[in-house]
Amino acid sequence: MDRNDSFREFVVDHQQALMRTAYLLTGDAHQAEDLLQNVLLKVLGRWSRLARVEHPEAYARKALVNQHISWRRRRVRSEFPTAEPPDRPYSSEDSTVVRLVMRRALMRLPPRQRAVIVLRYYEDRTERETAELMNCSVGTVKSQAHYALARLRELAPDLAPKLTDLEAEEAYR
Amino acid sequence: MTWLRNVLVDLADDSPEVDLAERTIAAHHRRRLTAISYGAAAMVVVVALGVTAAIRLLPGVPQDAASVRDLPARGVGPLSHAYQTFCKPHSGKAPAGCRDGGWRVVTRSGRTYHVPEALPGLAPGRTGVRDSPLAISRDARKIAYYSAEEGTFQVRDLASGRTTTAARKVPETRLGRLSRLMLSDDGRFLAFSKVPDLTDPAVLFDLRDGIARDLPNRWVPIGLSPNGSTITLAEYSPRSRLRTISNLWPSSSKSDTTSVTLPAHYLISPLAPDGKTVAVIENLSTAEKPCRHGRLAFMDTLTGEKRKTTAISGLPSDVSQISLRTWLNTEEVTALTSSVRCRPASEEPIKVGVAIEQPYRTMTAYAVNVRTGKARKLATYRAQGIVAIVLPGPPGTR
Repeated sequence: MDRNDSFREFVVDHQQALMRTAYLLTGDAHQAEDLLQNVLLKVLGRWSRLARVEHPEAYARKALVNQHISWRRRRVRSEFPTAEPPDRPYSSEDSTVVRLVMRRALMRLPPRQRAVIVLRYYEDRTERETAELMNCSVGTVKSQAHYALARLRELAPDLAPKLTDLEAEEAYR
Repeated sequence: MTWLRNVLVDLADDSPEVDLAERTIAAHHRRRLTAISYGAAAMVVVVALGVTAAIRLLPGVPQDAASVRDLPARGVGPLSHAYQTFCKPHSGKAPAGCRDGGWRVVTRSGRTYHVPEALPGLAPGRTGVRDSPLAISRDARKIAYYSAEEGTFQVRDLASGRTTTAARKVPETRLGRLSRLMLSDDGRFLAFSKVPDLTDPAVLFDLRDGIARDLPNRWVPIGLSPNGSTITLAEYSPRSRLRTISNLWPSSSKSDTTSVTLPAHYLISPLAPDGKTVAVIENLSTAEKPCRHGRLAFMDTLTGEKRKTTAISGLPSDVSQISLRTWLNTEEVTALTSSVRCRPASEEPIKVGVAIEQPYRTMTAYAVNVRTGKARKLATYRAQGIVAIVLPGPPGTR
């Protein structure tokens, strides 16, 4: 098996999981693909070393998160979700509307806060793992998560009770 | 926590299916040529140092292939697919943490788990001859497998962890060389068939009522009516045939059977959502021309009559094997494809008996529109062959 074959195998095994995270981070299919492609290029550039480490996927994930944060710092263009949530009040049990509202709210979070939400609540990472992936302290993860949930409550007031419950749950963890 | 995770998983379900390997390799190649021309060697050193530092700081990631965990007792989301692993492919490497003959399931969110409760299959020519099938329900939330502990099949709800065991035992020695399982959408019915016929019949289990009825062997179950009263079966070898058995659970009268022998050899899909037709592709491949495929058509399961024949477009020219699988909607059916060199068999002999220990290779699934023939790419998988991959829904006929 040559270098490219083992890289192909790595990509087939992990690209979809990485793409899902990239999509949540960027909120846009094309940007997610660009982001992941960029990260995979980095991975391939270092493949002779990474193929020998135990968790090459961990490197890719860390690069994905940090590339997203640095891209977003540089990029000033705004993002628009493809579907608009309704202006009228809605039920927090209506999953389609909740999805639209949450998508739009997530896109308005600063990149680090969005990354914390994705890593902590989608990937189910611990605070320590999240801190390691984001190159920051556990304290920063805690504060970013707190600010992110507070901002989400502002952006999606109909979902505020659910988000408040979530933080209360967190406090007991 | 669960609420927000569910919302995020829902959102992530909108992410596109991608296949970035070849694109990345090509882009890397171009970039490297450019970098060489600008004499950027110094930068490479700096980047390499950065990578070394980054690797040292990496956290343990549970989803790496080397750390594939056993399927948790409950709380597992819908599956994307399952695949069986044999650990001594005749070339290339087996996946890290390989368990010989074992099944792995992969969730839509990309998590991979071993299924230790499922009896491992045996590798012909090395460890023995015995298949061990696994099925995923069409909603991707339930699996069925053979439990060595129970001596029969079990169905497991992945979210709740609830398992239901079939009432009739099936000896391990009767699982056959190649077996097929089909789980109904609600998880109540489970059909099992195998080749060779052996002395035992194929079986349809009603797991709710704890009863079972015999089915003819060799026939692949491809569809079941919602109330479990009618089953559609297909046979692909030595001739392509379709059979429909209705009134399966009679209190007094006998079941009704309709069989039709098809005039050519077809690749046959699972039963379409209309409950009356299948998609078929005439199989024109021969040992000398392995990549020839015929046109796509709807076929009536009771009469074998073809309708709306169309040419397939959008598949790579080197597709050498197609397995028609789950229907995505009323017009699109999944085509799982494998591409090996389209060379005549005489130039590349197949070693009989070791086929299951083929090298791991990439296979691609397409959604094929049965009316227009257009194929669009869905996903890629890596396994030892098309039969080693299980997608949600009825099994493929080959």
